[in-house]
Amino acid sequence: MNMPLDTIKYLGITILLAPLAGAVLAGALGPKILRGRTHWATILGVAAAFVASIMLFQTVRTAPVTARSAQVPIYEWISSASGADIAVEFLVDPLTSIMLLVVTGIALLVVIYSRDYMRHHDHPEPGYERFFAYLGLFVFSMCALVLGGNFILLYLGWEAVGLCSYLLIGFYYGKPAASAAAKKAFLVNRVGDFGFGLGIFLIYVTFGSLEYGPVFDMAARGITATGEALSSERITAIALLLFCGACGKSAQLPLHVWLPDAMEGPSPVSALIHAATMVTAGIYMIARCGAIFAVSPVAMNVVAAVGALTALFAATIALVQTDMKRILAYSTISQLGYMVLGAGVYAADSAVFHLFTHAFFKALLFLGAGSVMHAMGGIIDVRHFSGLRRLLPATFLTFVIGSLALAGFPMLSGFFSKDEIIHHALAAHPILGGMGLLTALLTAFYTFRMVFLAFFGPQRVPEGVHPHESGSWMLVPLFILSIGAIGAGYFGTGVTHKAFHHFLEPVFANTFASRNPHHAASHAAEAAHASFWADYGLMLISGTLAILGILAAYLIYVAQPWLAGLAKATWPAAHRVLWKKYYVDEAYQAGIVDPLRQSGRVCVGLDDYFIDGLVWIVTAVPRGLGYALRFVQSGLLQGYALSMVAGLAVILLWVFW
Amino acid sequence: MIGVSEHILLGAVLFGLGLIGFLSRRNLIVIFLSTEVMFQGVVINAVAFARYHRHLDGQAFALFLLVIAAVEAGLALGMVMLLYRQKQTLDAEDWSSMRG
Repeated sequence: MNMPLDTIKYLGITILLAPLAGAVLAGALGPKILRGRTHWATILGVAAAFVASIMLFQTVRTAPVTARSAQVPIYEWISSASGADIAVEFLVDPLTSIMLLVVTGIALLVVIYSRDYMRHHDHPEPGYERFFAYLGLFVFSMCALVLGGNFILLYLGWEAVGLCSYLLIGFYYGKPAASAAAKKAFLVNRVGDFGFGLGIFLIYVTFGSLEYGPVFDMAARGITATGEALSSERITAIALLLFCGACGKSAQLPLHVWLPDAMEGPSPVSALIHAATMVTAGIYMIARCGAIFAVSPVAMNVVAAVGALTALFAATIALVQTDMKRILAYSTISQLGYMVLGAGVYAADSAVFHLFTHAFFKALLFLGAGSVMHAMGGIIDVRHFSGLRRLLPATFLTFVIGSLALAGFPMLSGFFSKDEIIHHALAAHPILGGMGLLTALLTAFYTFRMVFLAFFGPQRVPEGVHPHESGSWMLVPLFILSIGAIGAGYFGTGVTHKAFHHFLEPVFANTFASRNPHHAASHAAEAAHASFWADYGLMLISGTLAILGILAAYLIYVAQPWLAGLAKATWPAAHRVLWKKYYVDEAYQAGIVDPLRQSGRVCVGLDDYFIDGLVWIVTAVPRGLGYALRFVQSGLLQGYALSMVAGLAVILLWVFW
Repeated sequence: MIGVSEHILLGAVLFGLGLIGFLSRRNLIVIFLSTEVMFQGVVINAVAFARYHRHLDGQAFALFLLVIAAVEAGLALGMVMLLYRQKQTLDAEDWSSMRG
């Protein structure tokens, strides 16, 4: 029995339209009528979407394993004579339903949290209504991205979440840093999206369709629309162009520069958009387009290498930063690197699993950092406060849980998912897997450096700040996310018989799983050496690394604080390079931004002097004639009469002479 | 016998006198009177040709011209009044704000 298409159709429409309706209500009625109650519009809209997502998930889960994918047309959108019609349609399968659960679930908690976060002394901040309208619009866009059944809808959602990200990063638009960060995020994403757009064009040229079903089918069978064999260069080009888009949206090297700056937005935005959902769109896209990526070993190697490099690169930068939200931003880039690495070594299910666990603990950490920021009067730099664990006990507790999960502390969610990716990476590319292990050590260290600097040591707060623990609107989401950060990992372990992976299995069965060149080898090896070490060896190593990292951070930042100064003094050059984030921003400034600005100035000069000069010359002719003839217009009545008579006389002479 | 050419000559003389008056005088009312004189020169032409062709069209046209002249006189004098109220003068040369 197949899945009931009507049910799916109406659930999908609810998931899309409920947050949109909430956003429209918040935007239209917020400023005049709802005011301080605007959050209800968005909360109810997102909650409806969440409930519908749960029902959709149940519908998919209860269907037989072979019939868990459905393409549901809603209506014909663009029809063309060439027969390539674009419909508004949903593709619902296990991947979609999990993504929807993550997006709407985290969004619901974040919206609830924002109710208190966007207030000061129980008065809504300016722009309160705008904030909730944008959040609702974001949830709508993200759901459209995930639900869409063809590349046009994917692109539509892709750009719409980018727009919402831009609007929300620049939420405090009066602050120059915020509006600059918003522009930077938008422009850097344009670079990636340009490649993404080209990739979609190339798909259309190659396969003559933009619908997922036919495209993936043809890609898997290695033929084009005309039935010719698909060249490996062509499919590699498509995959790499699509990956450009993923690099932009998921902040991979070299387009990662926008994400740390995006922390200028309010903390709930960082938690929802720049940690849990939007930035994972790239990973979703790679997983969705598995049929295209998996048939191109070259593209897969590029994906894996970029992911591993990004993971290590961002983790090293996070070692020395002092702004808590920026540390978390680099950590997000690093964790996204893990996911991309996972997808690149044909372990898309592990990548999506890490996406799932990461959404909980990283949203938790950002919301926790937001709670600290709220208590510290907007200051988030760990140099300005310390020893907050007694002042903010609930925030401290949940923050530590999130940090343990991020650090990969044994038996918490991050441990299982990260371990899986490293396991697959080691089997495919030992060097990249090694980089993953090193990153795991660094992750534990920088995460707990932040925890120890902020919550341990002498109690110290910025001057004039009276810290207070956040209210229950903020704490309840933190507690719920803490439960997720602890427990989400068990969906992917033996306790639940790897329920998560089995659920996703049909999605990747014909793509990543069957095309994995390392699969047979690693399985053979596992079968040959089925022992304690093959099963748990890596877990032991990565668990030990996590604990070592945490202990090192404890030693350097709590037990013997002089060690931190010593390290800085011993390697000043290394510290400076990391502090300056490898000078990537400076390189872009000197290599791209400044030359473009200069050429812009040249164009302005051309416009002002050359084009305007030409226009001036053209207008000079009538103007000169006018100056020459203006004496004729004496303004005297009888002067005109005289010239009329003279003219008449001339005509009469002409006619009768 | 006074023929059509004499009538036409009279019309032309009236028209010429009016034209000279129109061009040479400065007083707005006199300028206006001059236009009326030119008008009557044209009316005489119309009547003269009506007589010459033994046809009443010209006569009827002359009546129309008289009516139009009367209407136009009412309008024009009203405008002259308004102009006078603005500057307390009837000198046509004082109205030259349209000079280029």
